[in-house]
Amino acid sequence: MSKNKVLAIIGAIALLLPSANLAAQSTWKIGYLPSTVGQALTKAWGVGIDNALKAAGNTPLQSLDAMMKAETQVSMMDDFINQGYDLIILQPIDAAALTASVKKAEAKGIPVITLNTDTLAPHFACVSMDDYGAGSKVAEIMGKEIGGKGFVAIIQSPPGAMAGVEREKGFRATMAKMYPNIKIVAAQNAEWNKDKAVAIMNSFLQANKQLDGVFAVNDNMAEGAAIAAEAAGRLKDVKIWGFNGQMSTLVQIEQGKVTGTAYTNAFEQGAIAARLALDVLRAGTKTFAKTQVVTIPPFMATIDNVSQITPNIRW
Amino acid sequence: MPIATLRRLILIGLFLVIGAVLAIVSPTFLKLDNLMTLLQEASQTGIVAIGFTLVLITAGIDMSIGAVIAVTAMVCVNFLSYTHIPAWIFIPLSLGTGCLVGLFNGYFITRFKLPEFIVTLASRGILAGVALLIAVKDADGFISNVYIQDPVYLGFGGTVGPVYIVTIAFVVLAFITQFSLKRTRVGTNIYATGANPTAARLSGINTKHSIYFVYMFSGFCASLAAIFLSARMMTAMPEFGIGSEMDVIAAVVIGGTPFTGGVGDIWGTVIGTLFLALIKNGILKLGISPYIQPIAIGGIIVVVVVIDVWYKAFAEKLAKKAGNRRKRSDEAEEAVAS
Repeated sequence: MSKNKVLAIIGAIALLLPSANLAAQSTWKIGYLPSTVGQALTKAWGVGIDNALKAAGNTPLQSLDAMMKAETQVSMMDDFINQGYDLIILQPIDAAALTASVKKAEAKGIPVITLNTDTLAPHFACVSMDDYGAGSKVAEIMGKEIGGKGFVAIIQSPPGAMAGVEREKGFRATMAKMYPNIKIVAAQNAEWNKDKAVAIMNSFLQANKQLDGVFAVNDNMAEGAAIAAEAAGRLKDVKIWGFNGQMSTLVQIEQGKVTGTAYTNAFEQGAIAARLALDVLRAGTKTFAKTQVVTIPPFMATIDNVSQITPNIRW
Repeated sequence: MPIATLRRLILIGLFLVIGAVLAIVSPTFLKLDNLMTLLQEASQTGIVAIGFTLVLITAGIDMSIGAVIAVTAMVCVNFLSYTHIPAWIFIPLSLGTGCLVGLFNGYFITRFKLPEFIVTLASRGILAGVALLIAVKDADGFISNVYIQDPVYLGFGGTVGPVYIVTIAFVVLAFITQFSLKRTRVGTNIYATGANPTAARLSGINTKHSIYFVYMFSGFCASLAAIFLSARMMTAMPEFGIGSEMDVIAAVVIGGTPFTGGVGDIWGTVIGTLFLALIKNGILKLGISPYIQPIAIGGIIVVVVVIDVWYKAFAEKLAKKAGNRRKRSDEAEEAVAS
């Protein structure tokens, strides 16, 4: 009799299983793998993605921290793939280095959405800020601010970091084209860091008696540059531009320390990625011939218009 | 029981326990894909750790291994981007990069009697700079990371059946090195150099040759790892491997090769490497913050070393007691006899 009971239980479980599977179909396991989780930008993306997923009734996001190392990110991609995630949202630390991982994931039927840095292989989608375009816009505005003539410097990102390099390229190209009388006197890598940017800005200020503008390819470094310029008493002579538009920098723009930044609504960017994710998972498409690129236009925030960025969209 | 055996039993025991916990907690842990990825990552560190073990046996240290990985990867992408030399020719050539660095390290250590740490730390700095300098640049002078498409080169990142080639290379290298250490003159000389260099020199061993050999071998292993790493990632970046020295040192020390020289073997390093990879994979699988990872690894090193010291003291105490007992009974016998 006990044998019958066991059989009955097994039968009941077997009956229940398919329905449990059906119930699980409407929710998906989505992995989020930014370059590092500690930054304002990657946090804001995470919040944006998570809110959109929750609104659609999906389970929250699982995220891992690659701590800015491409090798670590590749092994974390492997882990997401092995754990059978349904979709991965990835901010590649390096375009070339993550290409193999993206290919591997999509070969196993896991669509990949990249944020800000596209990879070299076609994949489902890339939701990106307009790095080159915004960099060139910064040059356009800064050139006008300093009267089309003078000396500027660039605080760079680490070598090989595509997003930073694209911003710098856009900046340089437009400066050369529109303002031939503005000279770029120095460019150094501050590794996205505020404290490194302070040191580099100090050396810029010492080496150049006249410095009219500084373009830091992210906001942290712009804040660092402002600290150094203020300490040297030259804050009002130097136009300092950042990139991204994080909350602390917007405050500094209001205080007149940082001149401006190329703001992107990171919450919205995350939400767009989440919507794309849910769409493709519902449709069940697994192969993609061409990457769908969504570019979010930047908003050039200065002291005059920064109030348009309301508190609820500050990150 | 010798301390090395005890340590290995403890490590294998811990290995099985952690493995079992992971298998229960994470349904994907025992999947073939996951185990093979785990082995792939272990092998990557393991190949470098084998070379490092030999250096440690001579009581030296090689801080340049991470930078050797970076430079070798850069040498390879330069061959790929600017020449038409096929991969099967330039890959052996690039393995020479590591040997050259080893030669440089060995020269300064033996010729000028400089501390190993200083010499290899200096070459680490130099090589890290060289890697950036020789990196492939785009038209605007920015470093661009080459996307490798050469099929022969990418073959190194491939698999034989489910097993990654890097894992096979690791196993083969481990066998050859272990055999050479224990069964050949070269191996004996390395142990002698580490245990007591003066005694080794007086008994006619050319300790300089041993030192040159271990640093060149260590460089070779790092270069080999660079090929596998860049093939796996399908690209090479000038910061590849820099900072990975710490993982390698941890694997070797957990495996039971002390910094004092003259002791240690490859099997210990293999176990240490696997153990380290398991911990890393486990932390990922359990969803624990990756910030815990270095803390866990550091903690394990402390525990392993403490057990070592404690067991050594315990064994010495036992031996002393036994000696005293023998002495007392001898005295008693003498008293009876007189």
